[in-house]
Amino acid sequence: MKRKHVFRRNVIIFVPGLLLGLIAGLVLSAGREAPAVTRQASGNMAAIKMLQALAPARGYLQAHRGVQDPLGLLGGPVKVRIRQSEGGVFVALPDHRRLDKDVFGTPRLPRAYGGTPGINGVPPILRDVQESRYTVMKKKSPFGDKYIVMADGKLRLEAVDATATDAAQSHDSVRMEASWRDKKGNTYTVQCCQMLATHGVEFPTFGGVVTNHLLHGFTRLGTALMPTEFTYFAFWGMGSVSKNGKVLDHPRLVHGMLTEYVRTQGYRLAFDREVTPTRQQFHLMVAPFKPVMKEGRFIPSPVKTGFTLPNGVELPFWHVMFENLEVKGRRG
Amino acid sequence: MVERAWLIIIRFGEYLLKQQWVGLTIIWVLLLAAGAEGIGRRVGEATPKKPAAVVKMTDQLTFEPARVTIKAGETVRWKSASLLVHTVTGDPALAAKPEDAALPPGAKPFNSGNIKPGGQFQHTFKVPGTYRYFCIPHEGAGMIGVVVVQPATT
Ligand SMILES: [Cu+2]
Repeated sequence: MKRKHVFRRNVIIFVPGLLLGLIAGLVLSAGREAPAVTRQASGNMAAIKMLQALAPARGYLQAHRGVQDPLGLLGGPVKVRIRQSEGGVFVALPDHRRLDKDVFGTPRLPRAYGGTPGINGVPPILRDVQESRYTVMKKKSPFGDKYIVMADGKLRLEAVDATATDAAQSHDSVRMEASWRDKKGNTYTVQCCQMLATHGVEFPTFGGVVTNHLLHGFTRLGTALMPTEFTYFAFWGMGSVSKNGKVLDHPRLVHGMLTEYVRTQGYRLAFDREVTPTRQQFHLMVAPFKPVMKEGRFIPSPVKTGFTLPNGVELPFWHVMFENLEVKGRRG
Repeated sequence: MVERAWLIIIRFGEYLLKQQWVGLTIIWVLLLAAGAEGIGRRVGEATPKKPAAVVKMTDQLTFEPARVTIKAGETVRWKSASLLVHTVTGDPALAAKPEDAALPPGAKPFNSGNIKPGGQFQHTFKVPGTYRYFCIPHEGAGMIGVVVVQPATT
């Protein structure tokens, strides 16, 4: 870690989650086609605003985001160290997420639809239905069953979870460098965090770092497209994306988490009842959208990853799993 | 016979020692040669048995073939064809799910530890029966294999 860690006072308006970009992309591309569709697009925009207003944590966040001197964790700060020094990584490719009934309910009784589509919930209109069951999300996202393996996964992370709640300031900190290498020998690196998300907009970020908490799935803390997973450690902050030592994109939203194991047979992304509680994995996410601070919302913005998919398109996000980990944590 | 040869060497050495430094060099050369031969013989004895089956570990989180059949006393070799780190673990105590590991009665558990990309591991199966083993990091993703060990034919 060359970059000195900056103790963050700054407030990041932060919409955690990933699919706003996809939805807005849909809206924007529709808008280019014809005036009639433009009307539909503005209709979509209004619908998205209505859904955003339904994000379950809005009230909680309103009460916490201005707190200048937040309380600390019960029992004191937790220090976390995570390393992977050898072995490859799993790089997620865009895919249609299969929809878990335990999280999304049924067409008769839908669950998890509020909030920015995909970032928090998934609106019923984006769900495929078969025989009165939800099957998959119609749009592709970073959360699916497709992946490739890349070589030489390295992860170095040191963090402190001190602040308990969302607030305007935080005593949490994260220093992380993660890298991996493609077949052609290019090395990709993500560094974080010059700034932490001291509070969220659609769901809590707990000062930027959270430990020993349940996230995703039915919790509505993070996208419901990931299964409900016990999370030993997670962070949200701003970092940079590099290829072969050259910064390609900065600042970018970076989210990392150490969780129980949420992949199943053939590396399929698990449903809630399929997770393996006694194994761990570390997930790294660089999201394809950017915050507009003043407006408290996000605009779609594909990540400049520098990695080209077989179809010639640049992979617009990084969602990378590390599974050969050394983990240390202690209080105080 | 060997003792006699050493005796001659030592006597000869003593003689040379009295002469000049060349003697020392000769003694050392002889000693090194003898030692190297001994080491060579031991390595030869420990040379791994030719495996009765070879199983590949892949990026698709599989053991290929997932099931092999051998005879008691034979060896299986696992080879990494993967960029990932895997393990070959036949130890119910290390399994996240009890059904992912099984040993026949009387068989000892085995565990390769981390096998790096390109690395390998082998294990000789003495007790007949069905062994179910897994990869520690990818057990949750279904990386599980079976070795069937039949009684040795006489
Ligand atoms: Cu494995």
